[in-house]
Amino acid sequence: MGRGHRRGWMMARFLLRRLGGMVAILGAASFLVFGALQLAPGDPASFLLSGRSATPEAIAAVRAQYRFDDPAPVQYLHWIGGVLTGDFGRSVQFRTDVGGLIAARVPVTLTLIGMAFVLTMVLGLAFGVWSATRPGVVDKAVLVGSSVAVATPSFVLGFVLIAVFSVNLGWFPSIGAGQGLADRLHHLTLPAVALALTFAGVLARVSRSAMLEQLGQEYVTVARGRGVPERTIVRRHVLRGAMTVTLTYGGLLVPGLLVSTVLVETTFGVNGLGQLLQYSVTVKDFPVVQALTLLTVAVFVVANLAVDLLAPLADPRVRLGARD
Amino acid sequence: MSRRRWAALTVLTLTVTAAACGGGGGNAAPSPGRTLSSGTPLPKGDIDAFTWVSYAEPPTLDYVHAFDYPQNMVLSNVCESLMRWTPELKEEPGLAEKYEQRDPKTLVYTIRKGVKFHSGAEMTADDVVASLNRHLDEKVGSYWISTFRNVESITKTGPMEVTVTFKQPDALFNLEMGASPGTVASAASLQAKGKAFGTADGGLDCTGPFKLGTWTKGQSIRLDRFDGYWGDRARSGKVTFTFVPDAAARTNALVTGEADGSWMVPAASVARLRSSGAGTVHGGPNLTTANLIVSDLKNGTLADVRVRRALSLAIDRQGLAKAAFGDYSSPSLVPGPTESWRNVGAAKPPAPAVTRDVEAAKKLVAEAGAQGKKIVIATTNTGPEMSVISNAVQAAAQEIGLAAEVRTIAPDAYTALFSDPEARKGIDLFPTFWYLSATDPLELYGLFQTGQFENYGGFSDPAYDKLVAAAEVEFDRVKRAQLTAELQATVATQLPWIPLADLDNVMFIGKRVTGAPTSISYLYYPWAADIGAAG
Repeated sequence: MGRGHRRGWMMARFLLRRLGGMVAILGAASFLVFGALQLAPGDPASFLLSGRSATPEAIAAVRAQYRFDDPAPVQYLHWIGGVLTGDFGRSVQFRTDVGGLIAARVPVTLTLIGMAFVLTMVLGLAFGVWSATRPGVVDKAVLVGSSVAVATPSFVLGFVLIAVFSVNLGWFPSIGAGQGLADRLHHLTLPAVALALTFAGVLARVSRSAMLEQLGQEYVTVARGRGVPERTIVRRHVLRGAMTVTLTYGGLLVPGLLVSTVLVETTFGVNGLGQLLQYSVTVKDFPVVQALTLLTVAVFVVANLAVDLLAPLADPRVRLGARD
Repeated sequence: MSRRRWAALTVLTLTVTAAACGGGGGNAAPSPGRTLSSGTPLPKGDIDAFTWVSYAEPPTLDYVHAFDYPQNMVLSNVCESLMRWTPELKEEPGLAEKYEQRDPKTLVYTIRKGVKFHSGAEMTADDVVASLNRHLDEKVGSYWISTFRNVESITKTGPMEVTVTFKQPDALFNLEMGASPGTVASAASLQAKGKAFGTADGGLDCTGPFKLGTWTKGQSIRLDRFDGYWGDRARSGKVTFTFVPDAAARTNALVTGEADGSWMVPAASVARLRSSGAGTVHGGPNLTTANLIVSDLKNGTLADVRVRRALSLAIDRQGLAKAAFGDYSSPSLVPGPTESWRNVGAAKPPAPAVTRDVEAAKKLVAEAGAQGKKIVIATTNTGPEMSVISNAVQAAAQEIGLAAEVRTIAPDAYTALFSDPEARKGIDLFPTFWYLSATDPLELYGLFQTGQFENYGGFSDPAYDKLVAAAEVEFDRVKRAQLTAELQATVATQLPWIPLADLDNVMFIGKRVTGAPTSISYLYYPWAADIGAAG
């Protein structure tokens, strides 16, 4: 049996196990999400008809249309059955297909998260490495700067960015997501910066400590003793070792960014998934909240799996599934 | 009869900050910043497009569910009604070229000839009958069902004639045909689109100066000029509505010129918009008032009218109005909006002077033996106005010896107060913003009739009921208004609602464009068609 063969088999077994875990987690999450919303006080039907002089017949018609009168387990089975076939139900508030409602907002939020992800990784890594390799003034400055970045809530930063770059300088638009690629990138630059800076601050600190830990390892001392140039040591060895930590952080970053979009999208008037979630919670639009929550859980699970698959590539010393 | 309420969401977005409510009292003077303008200057030419910013995306554009600002401000430019509400808040013929009240129970509409739907088909009586009868279909769940409560039938009595027969006379019905209940859509599109009618997926087919262009869900709605329009051609080729729930973000969009205008400008943004030089803030004629609804007039501390009067006497309306609504408001002692009397000038009763008398209030509380008794004021954290109101009312109640508790509830629980008697249990008072859709004070005062859906506290007075019944069958406006004035006097002393303030319609329009009306007519009048180039 060749080595490659065995590795492939291990990989398949690992993947199967993880996929099974994912299904279990998503199933449990769907149950919890559904149950939590059932327990929440308030009635979506009353919101729909709120303050409007509705006849009992009209209220009954609405309740029947959205199956509010079915027993909870029946409602759950109906919902989960729909989800499995790609049907997330109908929005109570918008009276349209939930899938379509979410699909329309995915491109905006995805672009925003993508831009923020790249910014976070680039800024966070660059400052982390810079700080770890330049003890003294640079290191201190990065530490202070990253503390400020971590401590500033993204919506506060958003207000500042708008005041400076939209209202005073007029370089960037203050609201909306734009049409077409160039316009969209232009519109989403400030929100992405606002979103990224906190996370970049954290990553700078995480990668700095990971680097310092690696730099303190015996093999670095040995390599230095052999006269290997410092640059090569950092690039070939230290960075590789620090990569696992950075990757893990990157994996957590995606769902973190997704959750944080709620505030940033509100500040910048960007109608993405975050704003949809906030609005749907306010008006008790159960089908939309259920779908979005499940989506967030799914992103968490997938991001985690991606990290586990990528970690051995970055650093061969890490075995597949070692983080389990 | 139809009455509208500011939805919880509206309030959510009104302002970002508001000052704390100050003390003071005594007799009222009109607030200095309050000057109503009748309109914006006429445009000098046509424009390609303009952008309007709204605090929320319309959930649907189906007229049977068009019952709130976001949907109505868009829909008014796309779909038209039998009657038309003008910028001066008068009624004139719309898609019906004339109407005739043949007898108190028979109303006949002659449908305008040569009116085309956006699809190209010509409007007939069949379209009118199909559109209006949808409100009577329980399965459709129209929000305007109460407008049709006296209707016996709506039938076609000629190729261009529709007859409405009533179970009992209804003098307000025709006025309300100028609002959403009177909307006409093509019968064929109603049939073909079914449930998708009016949604982003289904679209709609109406007769307005603009047709629905691209509705990018979550982003914007674009309207395109309809070249086959029967009336005056729109001055702008396109209108884009963008949705920005955050009040500060909306203000930024107006200051930077990314949006050309907005209705419902938050009080907290007014100063910044004025000083920005980006355009003009207007306060226009409105039919909206702020009130406290007494949840239960039969039980609890406020069941005694002396306690209601005491509380009303103790509230610092001056400070409250200024803190919550700014310049474009005035304190009021009647729940009906002043402007609702504008078409019946002679019959308008003088507004009672706004006074505050804490000593007299304390005496009333003592008389009623209510010292130390508890009242619960419900509020919600959707916007600062709500908490300014509840705090001011709590302060007033405590000052006269009542134990007042402010209970903050979730927005949907607040909304449920308006439809679910169970939700109102244990709550004595809750604030509301109420607007009328027809220029007639009876639209508000009729709802205190025994058994009305919106008669939340259960106000019941046989003499009052008789007066409402008489007013509802009185087709002469001035006579009806005289009857309504008596109703107002009763409500102002019996206080089933405790009035707080009369609010103006606050709008902002940027320097680039002009021509929009400033009144609340924008909910049903095709206002966007009037907007053109400023220079």
